[in-house]
Amino acid sequence: MSEMNFNDAVMTTRLDAVVNWGRKNSLWPMPFGVACCAIEFMSMMASKYDLSRFGAEAMRFSPRQSDMMLVLGTITNKMAPVLRTIYAQMAEPKWVISVGVCASSGGMYRTYSTLQGIDRVIPVDVYVPGCPPRPESMIYGVMKLQEKIEKESLSMRKDHIERFYESLDRQEALQAAKGLTGQQAIREMMFDAADRGVGTIF
Amino acid sequence: MIIEHIDTQLPGTVTDRHAFRGDQTIVVAKDSFLPLVDLLYREGFQLLVDITAVDWPEREQRFDVVYHWLNLASQERLRVKVPVADGEAMLSLTGRFKTADWFEREVFDMFGVRFEGHPNLKRLLTWDDFPGHPLRKDFPLDGGDAFCMEGCTAPYNNGERG
Amino acid sequence: MAHPASPFLSVLILLLIAGVTALIILVLSGKVLPLLKPNNPKAAKLRVYECGVPIQQDGARHKYTVRFYLTAMLFILFDVEAAFLFPWAVNFKHALWTFGAMLSFMATLLVGFIYAWGKGAFEWER
Repeated sequence: MSEMNFNDAVMTTRLDAVVNWGRKNSLWPMPFGVACCAIEFMSMMASKYDLSRFGAEAMRFSPRQSDMMLVLGTITNKMAPVLRTIYAQMAEPKWVISVGVCASSGGMYRTYSTLQGIDRVIPVDVYVPGCPPRPESMIYGVMKLQEKIEKESLSMRKDHIERFYESLDRQEALQAAKGLTGQQAIREMMFDAADRGVGTIF
Repeated sequence: MIIEHIDTQLPGTVTDRHAFRGDQTIVVAKDSFLPLVDLLYREGFQLLVDITAVDWPEREQRFDVVYHWLNLASQERLRVKVPVADGEAMLSLTGRFKTADWFEREVFDMFGVRFEGHPNLKRLLTWDDFPGHPLRKDFPLDGGDAFCMEGCTAPYNNGERG
Repeated sequence: MAHPASPFLSVLILLLIAGVTALIILVLSGKVLPLLKPNNPKAAKLRVYECGVPIQQDGARHKYTVRFYLTAMLFILFDVEAAFLFPWAVNFKHALWTFGAMLSFMATLLVGFIYAWGKGAFEWER
């Protein structure tokens, strides 16, 4: 935070700093809990490790009422369109923490049915490795996200979110044109992206 | 117990057997499978616990379709393996065991073994047009995933994977 | 000084504070905060929420029978009638005119009651 103390009587800060301070200290998590990492999340929210002292008291399971999505667990290829829809329905400002190795890279599941990392289908801000990560690791991940938020500015362009919505439109167009399910459309988009040498579909 | 019974009632059916720490396994040929199932059902092995398969690609009869039965009265379990070649159809047990329906669909989906007499032999876990059979040994581990870790950039973060 | 309206002075102060607070909130959320918050409306964001899956039905609003409305309406009418009966009963002084007035009031409502009865509004199963 950029502050100037006039004899400790007056404190001035930039608007960005104030807004970011507010945002980073009131991150309401939306737990996208699908597997074992969700148990560690429960442990983190409980009294011993207590994420609510970071302002994350209000754990909302609705994308419309939260600003930080924690993807907790293995995302299969069939679940990928659901994850994208939920991320699309979150209101900005929004951030994603990919908790655990299954969400970050597919984890120990290198198979045809597991999405090899959610950053192939959604933009991710912080990755927390572990199988499952200890609650302290997850708290460290949230703290890293707070540091990232501090450095943002109000006029910062969030291109990755724009590109995500474009890719969602493309996915739906593909589904409508060829009569595919979400999983099949995403699979085709992934192969297209791989042909271009790009690691994500957005 | 049951294996001796099979030997006396249907001699020559059991081509191979082994036991390990209380497990009993017998290998039978496809031709003698149905009479064996009738015998097992009469003897009380009325709970079909599982049907699955194993792929041995070097063998001529590539697949081993594996059945597990439980005798609820005597608490005895039996594993029956039936070697089947690629393209050869196995006999369906859906007439007698309702659970065989989805088990056989799963084996068809994962290995490609067809079951004669099955009322609805469609894929179960993958979608209808899925290319290939995932649990065969020659199916790529990640399903033909074209991504690799080197050479692919993340377009945001200015291309850094950081 | 004893201002004739002094019991109500505190109410006026409360009214002013409430009004000013409401105004401040309105101005803040209407003019100031939109400068600070991101504004990115997208069609996908505004869709109906159904746990990420495509919507399985065409809306949460569905038709229901008019019997519920009828029951509620009749209840209100006769309940208000009873509510009028209570203060009258408390102040009743055994005069024929008073009694007659209440009787005519109830007779008016009785006509409506017989009409509703005849029309079958009291039957749940039609």
